[in-house]
Amino acid sequence: MSDVENELRRALRPVDPPAGFAERVMRALPPQRPPATVTPLDIVRTAPRVTAWRRLMTPAALAASLVVAVMLGQQVAFEREQRAGLAASRELMQALRVTSQKLDDAYRAVQSTPPRTQEDEENRS
Amino acid sequence: MSVDPPSLLLRARDGDASAFEALVRMHQSSVFSIGYRMLSRRDAAEDLAQDVFLQLYRRLDSIESLEHLGFWLRRVAANLAIDWLRRATHVATQPLEAGAEVAAQQPDEDPLLNRELRRMLGELAPAARAVMVLRYQEDCDVAEIATSLDMPVNTVKSHIKRSLTALRGKAIGARLITAEEMP
Repeated sequence: MSDVENELRRALRPVDPPAGFAERVMRALPPQRPPATVTPLDIVRTAPRVTAWRRLMTPAALAASLVVAVMLGQQVAFEREQRAGLAASRELMQALRVTSQKLDDAYRAVQSTPPRTQEDEENRS
Repeated sequence: MSVDPPSLLLRARDGDASAFEALVRMHQSSVFSIGYRMLSRRDAAEDLAQDVFLQLYRRLDSIESLEHLGFWLRRVAANLAIDWLRRATHVATQPLEAGAEVAAQQPDEDPLLNRELRRMLGELAPAARAVMVLRYQEDCDVAEIATSLDMPVNTVKSHIKRSLTALRGKAIGARLITAEEMP
């Protein structure tokens, strides 16, 4: 070890603080030592997850409600169109039946009429 | 009051003010001296030492043993002093206050050389000064200094080597020692 190192050790001997230092430190302390605040690790880990879930839950519920409302609306409109189509189909069938009936009647009337003779023609003129 | 140091730490943790005061008295000289050698002013050193002990009071629960306590105090004092010097660079060039040394002199020591060495130490950069104070005042080994100051071991060794060379050169230049005294 060199002389400079020895001299440094001598030169840097610890010195005492001014008198009354410890008392001044004690007076500067807060009235009561703050308790150690230790947060359990599981709470630290789960708290953000719950918060994130709750943050997402409301928009997710709103979106789901909107989707259900749209689907219900589409279903109602489809059923209404289906009912209108069936009604129109029934009316068409009814009209066709009536027409067919009329044609049958006309045909039978034509068939039941006796053919005109020469004598009939002469009588008319 | 019991003076058993390990029980002092436990009692201080439990809020025993007298136990904490005993811990302060045990370490006040070391903490104050680190501040004094680093800042070269007794008033600033006292403020720094008080700040260190207030921080200790708030962190007592994290102190595991008396060895840890000593390490923790040296580390906080040295780093606070470095921060203080970096904030107030003018202090680095101020000489030690005259007549402030109260330690008893050894019969074989050279008061002029010691005073000049302390003055030269005050001219070193803050980090190098902290390394030298921890090494030659607190007698810390290189590994502990590296941990305390958050620097690589080789940087600590480099600071010690360069600072010793600079101090030797200045001491020889000031004819405080002769070149023959060098190893």
